[in-house]
Amino acid sequence: MKNRLKVLRAERDWSQADLADRLEVSRQTINALETGKYDPSLPLAFKIARLFEQPIESIFDDGQA
Amino acid sequence: MATSRNPAQKRYIARFMPTMAVYVVCIFTVSWVFNRYEPTGPVAWALALLPALPLLAVIAIMGLYLREEGDEFVRNILVESMLWGVGLTLAIMTVWGFLEMYAETPRLPAFWAFPIFCFGMGVAQPFIKRRYR
Repeated sequence: MKNRLKVLRAERDWSQADLADRLEVSRQTINALETGKYDPSLPLAFKIARLFEQPIESIFDDGQA
Repeated sequence: MATSRNPAQKRYIARFMPTMAVYVVCIFTVSWVFNRYEPTGPVAWALALLPALPLLAVIAIMGLYLREEGDEFVRNILVESMLWGVGLTLAIMTVWGFLEMYAETPRLPAFWAFPIFCFGMGVAQPFIKRRYR
């Protein structure tokens, strides 16, 4: 699934490791999320949305909208 | 892998290592006892089961790690690699089973199921990880 994680992270000037720490996941997880190859569970998606203070649908795009 | 271990992984290692040490001690002790005393009956049964116990513990330790791993992506990779391990084990056991039954190939001890599973799991992991890069 496409997402704006990389852009949102860059806007805040965070490294993948910074984001990984904030979400309490590994850096490889951030990488898999950013490439769009791994879709997060609903709880992790909510956590990401809260961290960036944006609704889930403005971060992730399932191509259906 | 350069990434540092999370608490669940540290707990896994802390449980796994001593259990494998117990396994190694068991396997050497048991084979020594069988060579020297050639036990039979219930004693032989009990002794033969001894090395299996730490391996049963390893299965439980793997299950605990799966439950405790908080990183869903890491857990996902592990589950996928376990499925490859299961697939390889079932494939080898099935093919070999029929070969044994009809073609009189040498018997493959059932003991090998677990090592084959672990081998399949270990080999699959880097390939699964690469898919997400």
